[in-house]
Amino acid sequence: MLNQLAETINRNIQGANAQAFIPEDAKLHGSVTIEATKLFEVATWLRSNKELPFNVLQVISAVDYLDYFEVCYMFANFNPEDMRDVILKVKLTDRVNPNLDSICSIYASANFQEREAFDMMGVRFNNHPDHRRILCPDDWEGFPLRKDYVYPKMYNGMEVFPDAKMNFEDREFEARQKLISKAQNTASTDV
Amino acid sequence: MQSRWDIGTPERPTINSETEKLKTELLTLNMGPQHPATHGVLRIEIKTDSEIVAHAIPHLGYLHRCMEKHSEHLDYRGVIPFVDRLDYLAAMSMEWTYVAAVEKMLGTEVPRRAELLRVMTAELQRIASHLVAFGTYILDLGPQTVFLYAFEMREKILRMFEEVSGARMLYNYIWVGGVWNDWTDEQLKNVANFCDEMELEAKKYYDLNSSNQVFIKRTAHVGVMTTQDCFDFGATGPVLRGSGFNWDLRKNQPYSLYNEFDFDVCVGTGEIGQVGDCYNRYIVRMNEVIESIKIIRQVLTKLEPGSVMGKVPKIIKLPKGEVYMKHECPRGELGIHLVSEDGGKTPYRLKVKSPCFTHISMIPRVAPGQMIADFVATVGSTDIVLGEVDR
Repeated sequence: MLNQLAETINRNIQGANAQAFIPEDAKLHGSVTIEATKLFEVATWLRSNKELPFNVLQVISAVDYLDYFEVCYMFANFNPEDMRDVILKVKLTDRVNPNLDSICSIYASANFQEREAFDMMGVRFNNHPDHRRILCPDDWEGFPLRKDYVYPKMYNGMEVFPDAKMNFEDREFEARQKLISKAQNTASTDV
Repeated sequence: MQSRWDIGTPERPTINSETEKLKTELLTLNMGPQHPATHGVLRIEIKTDSEIVAHAIPHLGYLHRCMEKHSEHLDYRGVIPFVDRLDYLAAMSMEWTYVAAVEKMLGTEVPRRAELLRVMTAELQRIASHLVAFGTYILDLGPQTVFLYAFEMREKILRMFEEVSGARMLYNYIWVGGVWNDWTDEQLKNVANFCDEMELEAKKYYDLNSSNQVFIKRTAHVGVMTTQDCFDFGATGPVLRGSGFNWDLRKNQPYSLYNEFDFDVCVGTGEIGQVGDCYNRYIVRMNEVIESIKIIRQVLTKLEPGSVMGKVPKIIKLPKGEVYMKHECPRGELGIHLVSEDGGKTPYRLKVKSPCFTHISMIPRVAPGQMIADFVATVGSTDIVLGEVDR
């Protein structure tokens, strides 16, 4: 199915460069990766085509791999006779100002999902009608789910993360510290 | 020449300077975050034109507990109690979805008895969740009797869960590889008795409320969400089924053992009101209770003694990759997007697709043009739990 979908996308949209990824391990889920600049056209096609339609966008999940972001769109077709779902991925290499085209005008569910991706990962969406944070307060700094996120010590004059209460010897925190130092060494992080 | 029928242009009413100064503007009203009808800490900013809602803007995040961030620092088993706290009214279903995602990546085989017990607990949980859903919904709209009856029955389910898991609401009962504790024969007999009792009770609630003219006036033709709206916004569960579309993951993409069971998918028919309105969403939940009882009874006949825990390594390490696991939870499809690193002991990324989150995003679409009282009925009928929305 994934190969067929990638093929049809390539046939219909010039320069989409769709590639199917089918994992060797059959337990895992495969995906289709497309070019970030062609996202809007691909989404329009997915919604309106007759061959392999997808009428629902279920969720947008952004993943931070330190070198790049991966934004995963879970599409599904709600039709008892013709069911299918796919993970469509775009890769964003720009870490300072990652941006994508908003697909709110095609799938209304993208509105809140894109706001969440912006809130948590800092991925900006062009032409979004209401581009605000959704879960964190509006004056929050930084994007919490990035791997190089450093926890703030103060928020609005309140001490939120006192040193005395932090247990750096915990293995969870150790893992975090390792990731932070790795990120600071490899990527330039002036966001 | 002027015809006798031509009365000419009517004289304009004179507007005195006082009335001219008056102008209309929209009034901003904050509903929540402590409003009882929102069932949690949701704030909806409503712009009203007298009693009519012009816009509604939901503001989320009052219950944001950084669950996704926390889970990146916990091992795979340690996440289960955090997943419990997403939808605290249906914790069993939440656990099961997450555990199923881990098991899929791990390739664990779950013993048949454990899988059956999971189906049974999830269906009991669905009944408990729907009892709260329509109990409090009816309470929102006035009648109080059903609410008290429903909570009495829900308490019986919670007591049964407490016997096996030790907790009333946040169970940590479904573990990777099986379930924590086996049900004894006596406890299973309690379940059978409960099913008989619940069937009568469900009929009682139906008779008490479903043909109540006041209730019908408040809910029929109110807050209509069409099937197309549901597709646009990705709505699932009773909201989608209430709009007349037959879609249930348990039937359409059967996971676990659901293809062995015989049950019907409840769909809004529009006998009273129209499909997609508050009344049809309510009636779908009411009917689903009966279907869940059917499934539980079939589970009880299929149960055979055996182990309830499969073979799982002591420290769970998953292969590099990802899965997106969907289950039909009481409020809709819960999706778990789990990404793992090679040999990592903790999830690399855990993203929860919450059904209530998508239902809240529909509120700005349905709200304009409603009365404020109808708006309360609409928000209540989507049955949101804020723990799941804000995560």
